Amino acid sequence: MAQHRAPSKHAGTWIVITVLLAAALIGTLWVPFYNHLTPVLGGFPFFYWYQLMWVPVVAILAGVAYLLSRLAQRGNGANGQSLDKDRREVS
Amino acid sequence: MSGDAVALTIVIIMFVVVTLVGFAAARWRQAEDRLHLNEWGLGGRGFGIFITWFLLGGDIYTAYTFIAVPALVYGVGALGFFAVPYTIVVFPIVFVFAPRLWSVSRVHGYITPADFVRGRYGSHGLALAVAVTGILATMPYIALQLVGIQAVLTVLGVHGDWPLIIAFAVLAGYTFVSGLRAPALIAFIKDILIYVMIIVAIVYIPERLGGWSHIFSVAGTHLAQTNPKTGKPFGSLTVGPTAVWAYSSLALGSALALFMYPHAVTGVLASRRRYAIRFNTAILPAYTLMLGFVALLGYMALAAPGVPQAVKANGANAQLAVPFLFQKMFPPWFAGIAYSAIVIGALVPAAIMSIAAANLFTRNIYKEYFNPDATPAQETRVAQTVSLLVKLGALIFVLALSKTFSINLQLLGGIWILQTFPAIVIGLYTRWFHRWALLAGWAVAMIYGTLTAYSTPAPGVPGSHFGGSTANVPVFNHTVYIALTALVINLVVAAVLTGVFRLAKLSAGVDETLPGHYHADPPGLRRPRVPITRLTVGSPDPDPDSRPPVRHGR
Repeated sequence: MAQHRAPSKHAGTWIVITVLLAAALIGTLWVPFYNHLTPVLGGFPFFYWYQLMWVPVVAILAGVAYLLSRLAQRGNGANGQSLDKDRREVS
Repeated sequence: MSGDAVALTIVIIMFVVVTLVGFAAARWRQAEDRLHLNEWGLGGRGFGIFITWFLLGGDIYTAYTFIAVPALVYGVGALGFFAVPYTIVVFPIVFVFAPRLWSVSRVHGYITPADFVRGRYGSHGLALAVAVTGILATMPYIALQLVGIQAVLTVLGVHGDWPLIIAFAVLAGYTFVSGLRAPALIAFIKDILIYVMIIVAIVYIPERLGGWSHIFSVAGTHLAQTNPKTGKPFGSLTVGPTAVWAYSSLALGSALALFMYPHAVTGVLASRRRYAIRFNTAILPAYTLMLGFVALLGYMALAAPGVPQAVKANGANAQLAVPFLFQKMFPPWFAGIAYSAIVIGALVPAAIMSIAAANLFTRNIYKEYFNPDATPAQETRVAQTVSLLVKLGALIFVLALSKTFSINLQLLGGIWILQTFPAIVIGLYTRWFHRWALLAGWAVAMIYGTLTAYSTPAPGVPGSHFGGSTANVPVFNHTVYIALTALVINLVVAAVLTGVFRLAKLSAGVDETLPGHYHADPPGLRRPRVPITRLTVGSPDPDPDSRPPVRHGR
């Protein structure tokens, strides 16, 4: 992800975030994972409860990714300085 | 008084209340100018986490959710459920790119996606293409809202086009007078009604119908019947082997497209702080969960005694499935409330979308090409007029296109708007693509997408046009959402021409952004309320006052 301020000591954090978010994409977009009726849960065929289950899961994944991104940004004080310099140049 | 009369009376009362609120909104927090893009449209760019949630969620809850998605589930089964993965994957995507767009827009005072494209590529032509696409793609999306209102009216026994035209004229009236403040105020009523309606529907209806497993089993039996038009089953409870790619490409294509729409970009840029956007991707899925259950109203309609018969008797219009379901299941007074939720849930987004499109026109076309020295009053008048024209355009879409599945209206908009993805989202990361190559890729993809959609017949109606949103891709030999195929063509053309244009040493234009601008996180701006006109100054050397001040240091 290009979100980090390279070179960042938080590259690892951003890799974790990428993996978390990519999991949500693959888990919901790869139809063969869930394109069947069984096992049934609470009257819902698998196809339906699997996808509905992903909704809270993606919320949790995004929540963790959010916390990690805040940590990574907070730890990047030094880079923040250089950003301010960028901004001054255009002002 | 018959049940329908009670329900209709409630809908009319709610409509009148909403209309009064809409006109009264003109006086709400009245400031210097009538059309306050910055006060509400970007909320002075001062919205916190909660209001951002509310705004972005509102972009998901429209007639698309209540009418179009359940109609598709009712008509073809599992394929219609693609709206769930769509509204799941949209959040990781937003998590990644939206903060960059927010930052660079904050630094440079961009309000529309076209503003960013012009600043990034120094290209007026590319910015114009993005603006025109935004306006065009919004129209079928608004048209979908109209179809939703029409479905409710039909079930209530109100026939003909005139009630729809009256409803729209009233909407146009208070949008014209009150600007964005009207839908902002009405949105509170809308959300309360919608939450009440959905929670009651997903608890009460399955109870009356004998539980979820009964609903799924009856729906499965219905879907397995042969469709006399096509000679094949209507659908099934899982995605058929030929539709697997259609399912995931519709989900991914729609997710990539959603935040290219002008009204959705507005919601992102209105956030006060950068982190509020990412935090929201963790709480917005609450809307998705609701959407998932609303989609299943399509199956409840199949399982509810009398509903499939009523739909069939009305020209087999699947859009009527949910309104008929409410009619048969709810007592009339609550049906009236549920109908009001659908109608108001369609009016609010229609207003927001038409205003976003009007702002795009005023800022990126009128001011840019027709009247660079426009006075504030002129700009406001142009925006008001264009908001009317956009709604008229939507009416044309409603009258002209196949309504077998109104979701195709939204998907048609997606085909167009997704073609601005390379210029906007890829532009947030790299300037590798040449501006004219992007323009050429966009043009080729727009033509391809439109022609392919035009030549797609409605199922069982050979020779009809704009009847579907998926088409077979030669060579690959799978059915895929046309928007994604067009996007691939778009990227290939842009990549090849970038190479050519570089060899030819064509000017790449001036980039007014710097790498740091994409991470900038100035603290919340408490700006004085300024009329829209201060923000619409968008010439290459903007009035310094029109830029939001960037605070230094932290």
